[in-house]
Amino acid sequence: MSIPSGIKTTLLTLTWFPVLYSFSSHVFSPYQISGFSMTPTFNPGTETTTKDIVLVRKYNLKKPESLKRGDVILFRSPSDPEKVLTKRVVGLQGDTVKPKHPPYPKDETRVPRNHLWVEGDNSFHSVDSNNFGSISQGLVVGKVVTVIWPLSRFGTDVSKGGRDARKGYGDIPVKSIGDI
Amino acid sequence: MKVPESLKFLVSTVSWTLRAGCVAHLVHEYVYEFTETRGESMLPTLQSHHDYVHALKKYRLGRNLDIGDCIVAIKPSDPDHRVCKRITGMPGDAILIDPSSSSELTNTPAEILQHDGFNKYIVIPEGHVWCTGDNLCHSLDSRSYSVLPMGLITGKIVAANSMDKGIFGGGLWNFRWIQNTFFDEKEEAESIS
Repeated sequence: MSIPSGIKTTLLTLTWFPVLYSFSSHVFSPYQISGFSMTPTFNPGTETTTKDIVLVRKYNLKKPESLKRGDVILFRSPSDPEKVLTKRVVGLQGDTVKPKHPPYPKDETRVPRNHLWVEGDNSFHSVDSNNFGSISQGLVVGKVVTVIWPLSRFGTDVSKGGRDARKGYGDIPVKSIGDI
Repeated sequence: MKVPESLKFLVSTVSWTLRAGCVAHLVHEYVYEFTETRGESMLPTLQSHHDYVHALKKYRLGRNLDIGDCIVAIKPSDPDHRVCKRITGMPGDAILIDPSSSSELTNTPAEILQHDGFNKYIVIPEGHVWCTGDNLCHSLDSRSYSVLPMGLITGKIVAANSMDKGIFGGGLWNFRWIQNTFFDEKEEAESIS
């Protein structure tokens, strides 16, 4: 029995889909950012109002030393597991951070082992660790490498932004927490 | 240039292995996983050694899970490890954190004072569950790392096998379904009366 070549090609193409899917969930993948919690880093809304598309790295995320302060990460929302949020890492494990108080009930807190303190750059428009506390590093989905769309913003440096929330550092003016 | 047969064979073998490996990985992640469990925290439901569990992945991210279900989850304090626990509290439930840690039977008066923080209730926030091991005195669970975000749940355990009793040691490798052991006392009382 011979299989028509058209069907054979289709089937052979289909066998590559699992590879593609595994690549996008474990190596690199594009994501569209919606909302304004990370303005002006993403979706600045100045030149265009299109939503930014970013390139996200999916490997080497679960170790405590694999993320730095200033990294922008994607993670599953602790309060709604179906939602993925984009925020900036502001505190690492062991850091003592000064949350915004309110909404956070205490004016000082320590980030537990293998947890992260995350905040949006646009603090007035952001639901972040100041609301739900530190997040487990197991919730991290990816790390933003760069902006790839719109083309006018291709390759934008995303490492600048956010505040330094660590206790004892906050009063010193810093250009960005990525510099520390 | 003519490509030698042996190179063609090698490339095709590698490419088919890659595709098959990715299919297996996706099945593991989204459909079904058969994996070994270790540790005493789930005694007597699961043995501390030689036990393997069947996990269904459609329940990942806490989808359609209920109180009393056994789950596999990423450990919040260490993403490289996974834990196997039973859900003992759902969002909105008020939970007594750990009454035994301030019990007069097992603690000195100083310890009771020190542990008093555990003798409190918390309300489980949206998107989280409370999970404990079946073997409460030998389990590191929500009583120490608090509520578990549903985003860390990777599946629900539906059955288990023990590999140390031989094929016919109580069914095929001691196959057994893992039941939801929770029952509502209030409903029970109403149905009796």
